[in-house]
Amino acid sequence: MAISLRDLSVDYNLPIGTAHALRNVSLDIQKGEMLGLVGESGSGKSTVAFALMGLLANNATVTSGTAIIEGREFDLTKPNATAPLRGRGMAMIFQDPMLSLNPVFTIGTQLIEVLRRRAPDSDRKTRIAQAEDALAKVKLSNPKQRMNQYPHELSGGMRQRVVIAMALLSEPALLIADEPTTALDVTVEAQIMREIIGLRDRIGCAVLLITHSLGLVTEHCDRISVLYAGERLESGSVRDVQRQPGHPYTRMLFDCEIPIDRERHADTAQNRFTVIAGELPDPRRRPPGCIFNGRCDVSFADCAKVVPGDYPVAGNAAHGARCLRLVTP
Amino acid sequence: MTDAITVLGARLRFGETAALESVSVSIPQGACFGIVGESGSGKTTLMRAMLGLQRLDAGEIRILGTPLQQGRAALRQRARVVQPIFQDPAASLSPRSRIRTLMNEVGTVLKEPHAATHERLLVILKRLGLPDSVIDKYPHEISGGQARRVAIARALLVKPSILIADEPTAGLDVSVQGDLLNLLQDIRRAENITLVVISHNLAVVRLIAENAIVMRAGRVVEGGEVGPLFASPRQSYTRELFAAWPSLASNNKGR
Amino acid sequence: MNEAMWALKRICSERDGRLGLTFTIAILAFALLGPLVSPDPNVLDIKARFAAPGLAHLLGTDNLGRDLLARTSVGTRYALTLAVLIVVISSVIGSLIGIVAGIAGGWVDRAVTAVFDIVNAFPPLILAFALIALYGKGSATFVLLVTVVFIPQFGRMARARARTLRNLSFIEAERMLAVHPVTIVVRHYLPNVAGPIIVLASMNLPVVIAFEASLSFLGFGVQPPKSSLGTLIKDGFVSINQSWWPTVTAALVLAVATLGATLLGEALRRVIDPKSAGAR
Repeated sequence: MAISLRDLSVDYNLPIGTAHALRNVSLDIQKGEMLGLVGESGSGKSTVAFALMGLLANNATVTSGTAIIEGREFDLTKPNATAPLRGRGMAMIFQDPMLSLNPVFTIGTQLIEVLRRRAPDSDRKTRIAQAEDALAKVKLSNPKQRMNQYPHELSGGMRQRVVIAMALLSEPALLIADEPTTALDVTVEAQIMREIIGLRDRIGCAVLLITHSLGLVTEHCDRISVLYAGERLESGSVRDVQRQPGHPYTRMLFDCEIPIDRERHADTAQNRFTVIAGELPDPRRRPPGCIFNGRCDVSFADCAKVVPGDYPVAGNAAHGARCLRLVTP
Repeated sequence: MTDAITVLGARLRFGETAALESVSVSIPQGACFGIVGESGSGKTTLMRAMLGLQRLDAGEIRILGTPLQQGRAALRQRARVVQPIFQDPAASLSPRSRIRTLMNEVGTVLKEPHAATHERLLVILKRLGLPDSVIDKYPHEISGGQARRVAIARALLVKPSILIADEPTAGLDVSVQGDLLNLLQDIRRAENITLVVISHNLAVVRLIAENAIVMRAGRVVEGGEVGPLFASPRQSYTRELFAAWPSLASNNKGR
Repeated sequence: MNEAMWALKRICSERDGRLGLTFTIAILAFALLGPLVSPDPNVLDIKARFAAPGLAHLLGTDNLGRDLLARTSVGTRYALTLAVLIVVISSVIGSLIGIVAGIAGGWVDRAVTAVFDIVNAFPPLILAFALIALYGKGSATFVLLVTVVFIPQFGRMARARARTLRNLSFIEAERMLAVHPVTIVVRHYLPNVAGPIIVLASMNLPVVIAFEASLSFLGFGVQPPKSSLGTLIKDGFVSINQSWWPTVTAALVLAVATLGATLLGEALRRVIDPKSAGAR
């Protein structure tokens, strides 16, 4: 069954005014699929995760949005709408694993607690065995010994593995990973991504990977959604979007990524880095027309007036982008 | 020609862990030199040692042939030669001083009249694309991008021959990181400055540096010209680093 | 100056802050304006001993027939002056010692911290007694000795802040530019230590006011014929059977002064240092 998020809009009430962090963002993730939600700082990508989990800050209000998870519909504008799903239907991996781990309890205690909530009538021995098994599955060395250790005794990568093991035990329908590897080294990053994929394949859940790294998305995800200043500008399969970006922002974002195999030019003047000039629009006042207008390199007169809809790219209904160029001959 | 920076057998321990272990590096003048490594590799410690912010247990560091020494006179001399660009350059501006005050401090150190410092500053600001109005602002009153440029402007005001940039792209969005990197390259070419870039970002170092070393657990794993070093690494660790790097080209998805 | 205006606005935006500000202004007005509307505080009016409040003496008189409004307001003025003087001197000296210890590290730091610990180990009132017993009474010595008692508090806070600042990149940047150490301390450490120190100073003001009153009450503080809130309460207390006016007036002023300063200090802390405000 697919996970579906419809028309999510979130406002933040700030002393300087109301900031519209998200405007009518929709996402669809199939079971067993990983969707990469890509955005730069200020795009609102983490707000999507927090709104789904019901973890938004006090000054945030969901003005519209529904989520369909495991066939049940949740009205996200209601407080604690998805509370029944927390720890069961949904699990979350944060950038900082210590947000998910309690520093005063051992790893074992915390894993067993997850199992106790999920299956209240299993006995302690089975739970311990299951927890150790989960630690072994996420390739944490010496699972028996780790059970008695405290989070602070582990490295960042090992802690993230424990959090993945917790998610594994709770068998969620949707796993949200918010920048799960941003604080980690590249070698550890690759391993952690492998564990997240392993978890998805084991329990067949849908994964929402929230990241700023196009590299991670193109390497590991099936589908990609591009978020900019609170609006979803493009979505489609990673292959389609990479081959033919429908939105200039997506194309420019890909251009900014520095390929690891790009060799330096002998003439130093040739080793230039690509930049998207300009700044994010004021989140309090959405400019008329396209949200990316002003930083776009192919904009035309209408871009400042007409708000673009979601148009199919190259006639592919599964690949859409919000750019007027797509409907202007 | 003497090297810009020479490190000879640097050794430093923090308790049980070896932060630096027999590290020897030669950084030639006028080039861009990359120091690559993951967290805990000792790259930041090495930078702090080069700046004189961290004493070594053993070994020697020479800046343009002069051994690094403690003491105010040595520090004053070194300040005119080496300047750092910190990981978060905006945070390297004292929060409760106006930019003008910070810049005048440089003039005082150089024993230069404030008017002359101001003249030179205006030229530098113009080159970095900053409006003159930033001079009378406090660091929190300008944007993050501007603060980064102001910090670089201050370093340039000293007319250093070596700039050491610590993780210049950390925490920056891809769409803006190039701006800073292009700027560093321009400055380096125009002023013939030796640029040392410390980074975990292999792709950036590969493009910006002529020579580089790879560090791990306080040791130099390998080093040399960037071309051969990155095209055919000799050490397995370097190869591992490359393999782990998420690349746009290879979408190795099974489905 | 903008920051001060902003802080004032924020203080006025909450009830406790407004209350503290009102009390403080009332006490200041009382201390400054009281003597203008009353006779000389040291003139004896033998015929009107223990007079109740009336037109001639707005707050009545004491055992020698001296005007209580005059004496209390002069006493308040004196007590406030002493308290402010003590807090200002001890916070400035404490901050400087603390910053230097924090920057220097090593044995300097250990020595300074040890001295702070020793001073702090004594209950403040007992330490003040001991020092006054050793060095004698008198306003100047009193200020100096109480200052010594309060220096460690400011010193510790400044030291802790300085140690954090020392490793921040803006301080390291200044060092790398070879800016003179004195400039670094004055221009870059002091302003960034000032916030919590000002908060601590304002929280300590009522403590010092009460401290001075206690010492004066016990005869170790302000000496006659000068009056402070502590001596007024004591003098009134001696003759409380004849008239309760003197004691109650002085005690009430003391209560309003300390309450006002406490509320204002708390409000100031919430404005300047919101993180630590929740902790207590």
